[in-house]
Amino acid sequence: MLKVRQVSKVYEGKVSYRALSDINLTIEDNEFVGIMGPSGSGKTTLLNMIATIDEPTTGEILINGKDPHRLKKEKLAQFRRRELGFVFQDFNLLHTLTVEENMVLPLTLDGKKVSEMKKKAKEIAEKLGITEIMNKRTYEISGGQAQRAAVARAMIHTPKLLLADEPTGNLDSKSSKDVMEMLESINEKEKTTMLLVTHDPQAASYCNRVVFIRDGKFYSEIHRGDNRQAFFQKIIDTLSLMGGDSNDFSSVRV
Amino acid sequence: MTFRQFAFNNVIRNKRLYAAYFLTSLFTVMVFFTFSIFASHPQLTGDNMDSYVSFGMNVAAGIIYVFSFFFVLYSMSSFLQSRKKEFGLLMMQGMSMKQIRSMVFLENMFIGLLATIGGIGLGLVFSKVILLIAENVLIIDNELPFYFPTQPVLLTFGCFMVLFFLISLFVSYVLRSRKLIDLIKGDKKSKGEPKANLFLTILAVLLLGTGYAVALTVDGLKVIAAMVPVILVVVIGTYLLFTQLSVFIIRRLKKNENVFWHKTNMILFSDLSFRMKDNARSFFLVAIISTVAFSAIGSLYGFQSVLTAGIKQTNQTTISYQDYDTGNEEANVAYIDEKLQEANLDMDKEQAMLRYYEVPDESQVLIAKESDYNRIAGLSDNEIIQVEDGAPALLGPEMILLGVDGGNLNAQKADLLEDAVLELEEGAVLEPVQVVSSNVLPATTEYYVVSDHDFESLPSPASEQNYYAWQEKEGKEIPLGIAEDLDNKLSAEGVRIGQYEEYLINKMYGPILFVGLFIGIVFFVSAGSFLYFRLYSDLDEDKKKFQAITKMGLTDKELKKVLNRQTALLFFAPIAVALVHGAVALTALSHMFFYNLVKESAVVLGLFLAIQIVYFFIVRFYYIRQIKQALR
Repeated sequence: MLKVRQVSKVYEGKVSYRALSDINLTIEDNEFVGIMGPSGSGKTTLLNMIATIDEPTTGEILINGKDPHRLKKEKLAQFRRRELGFVFQDFNLLHTLTVEENMVLPLTLDGKKVSEMKKKAKEIAEKLGITEIMNKRTYEISGGQAQRAAVARAMIHTPKLLLADEPTGNLDSKSSKDVMEMLESINEKEKTTMLLVTHDPQAASYCNRVVFIRDGKFYSEIHRGDNRQAFFQKIIDTLSLMGGDSNDFSSVRV
Repeated sequence: MTFRQFAFNNVIRNKRLYAAYFLTSLFTVMVFFTFSIFASHPQLTGDNMDSYVSFGMNVAAGIIYVFSFFFVLYSMSSFLQSRKKEFGLLMMQGMSMKQIRSMVFLENMFIGLLATIGGIGLGLVFSKVILLIAENVLIIDNELPFYFPTQPVLLTFGCFMVLFFLISLFVSYVLRSRKLIDLIKGDKKSKGEPKANLFLTILAVLLLGTGYAVALTVDGLKVIAAMVPVILVVVIGTYLLFTQLSVFIIRRLKKNENVFWHKTNMILFSDLSFRMKDNARSFFLVAIISTVAFSAIGSLYGFQSVLTAGIKQTNQTTISYQDYDTGNEEANVAYIDEKLQEANLDMDKEQAMLRYYEVPDESQVLIAKESDYNRIAGLSDNEIIQVEDGAPALLGPEMILLGVDGGNLNAQKADLLEDAVLELEEGAVLEPVQVVSSNVLPATTEYYVVSDHDFESLPSPASEQNYYAWQEKEGKEIPLGIAEDLDNKLSAEGVRIGQYEEYLINKMYGPILFVGLFIGIVFFVSAGSFLYFRLYSDLDEDKKKFQAITKMGLTDKELKKVLNRQTALLFFAPIAVALVHGAVALTALSHMFFYNLVKESAVVLGLFLAIQIVYFFIVRFYYIRQIKQALR
């Protein structure tokens, strides 16, 4: 599904800064992978490059065997809205639109039929349990609901790869749990491949596999067995091994 | 860091934020200053110009000043709106409201001082250009030399320091008692979607409809009577148009999912509907200001056209001379011939005999013979007429024949002919059988042309005068000096030079037209700046929004499309309304003068539209560039 080969990212400037060096990562179809690491370790940079928002300095990124970075700008935008789904920490819902309108926005931009959009929005809202807020405005709903609406927007065109950047960063623990369970079930039922960047060990414990990076380099990788609780403990252990206390990681930094 | 330094650094280190406000102030000062340089130019004041013109200029300067006040106030308050969050932050650090007020006051005075000095400096440069333009637009005997304007500098400096002081005070008032939480969340809180009231929506349509209908149907003096009520009705109608009708239409469009959910429409309309609340007020202001500018310039231009057209109509030939029984006839004609010879002009000359008869209830009536009439008509490329014996023709300017109400000459022919039966002494009766609209002979009332044979048998007239007409063959103009000389010496004795009369009108009218044009353009450019502010106050929000959408995938083309439409709507919605208003106003004006102003209206309105289009392209270019930079 996704192959990241020897990717490095250098930010040019007065003092050039190496954010990532020689990262390799392979994600199979239907996998649910988490990326963890301390602030400034380069997780978001990596995600942005996979999301085609940013370009790697060296190395290549293949999605389904193709390098989207080779696409022209126009095609790239279309690729993004057809093949990828995004969930952001701050939801990125447009406050001038209702929840339903926010959900169908990617389809609207693609010029789909209204009836088709309506049908899809209804289906996905039922699945995610947000039918009753469909006609509400974004400032009338809670953070957990907003993130679920954002997930619905990311899923409406059944993308092959769903990318989530700190999806629980702005949520309380109950809402975090709801959103993560929802993502897990989408991963199982819809067979959508998922990549998640997070600080939150609780959220990371829903993944099949967690990759740790530190200072822009690959650090280690752990797999989840059958028990999520045990996996959660293993994540905590790795984090403390990686450097100091797990409490060091602030949960609101991007 | 003292408090004063803090306020100072706030401005100096955050130039970009203050730039828009600063530039507006600078621009306003510059306009006022250039105008006052012009108004107090030594060549244009005192003996060189009528006192009422300089009075008019001072009034105009006053209008510009009042307008500047509101303009600066508006830009200041919209600038402060965008700084709400900053004030909230400062208050959280423990700044008191009083301190914030004094900070804003200091900043504002600082910007005001810079803007005033900068505006005067720039105005000094700019005024040379303005004086050059003025020299060409106005017909002034001497040129307008550049001078160092001590008085305007002091005037502008004084006026604007007072203005900024007042605005600084006013702004402190604007900032009163806001809750901290409102300030901090100022940029996040939704203002809510405006709603339209069905009754007011219908009222908007009705008001505009009746206003237009009345303005387009009245004519003559009724236009003046209808003016104030129509203006009131249309102003209210325009306000409702933007606050109610537009919201109503947008909401209808939004409800129609086939439209609203079509491609980029969703992004465009949702913002439009939310910003309508803020936009409506700016749109209203811009539409009204632009209408004033259009109508003022259109009226001035139209009025000038009416005047010059009148002169052209009464002066069909290049020069005419009608002897008023002065006894100098031969000498005068010889003098004119000599002068024309001197100027090397190739002239055709004709002579006619005009007979005036006493008529009981009217003053005097003119009768001429067919051959005389046709020779003069031929000279000035007018149609010649056929007059049979015993069948005279009734002639006259169209306005005189048909009266002020206008109408169709053919339709009223029978009535006119019946009224025109003329009984002369000794039982002679003229019963005209044809009516021709003509300005060939010099008459302010209707006159008669009879056949040569009938002319001989007319009774003896009250007076008989010779009429001479000269026509330049190659379209050359009489040199100004000679025209002036002839006019000075012989205008009292009956010489008329159309070209010179036109010159005199233009000379008198030029300054008025120039002042009107200047104020109109100031208004119009300020209106454009209002729109520019409106657009830029949404820039940050737009940046955030497009950042979010591009992450999901928005092609460059789509981005441009949305921004293009958004900017176009902002720029052309109020101007379109103003253009329609202006067109209606100028049509009413042309009804008042009974003179067709279509050409003049088209020129004025087209020119403004062209300026607005250029403005639109410039602003769009920068706006799209700014948004795109944020997306990188």
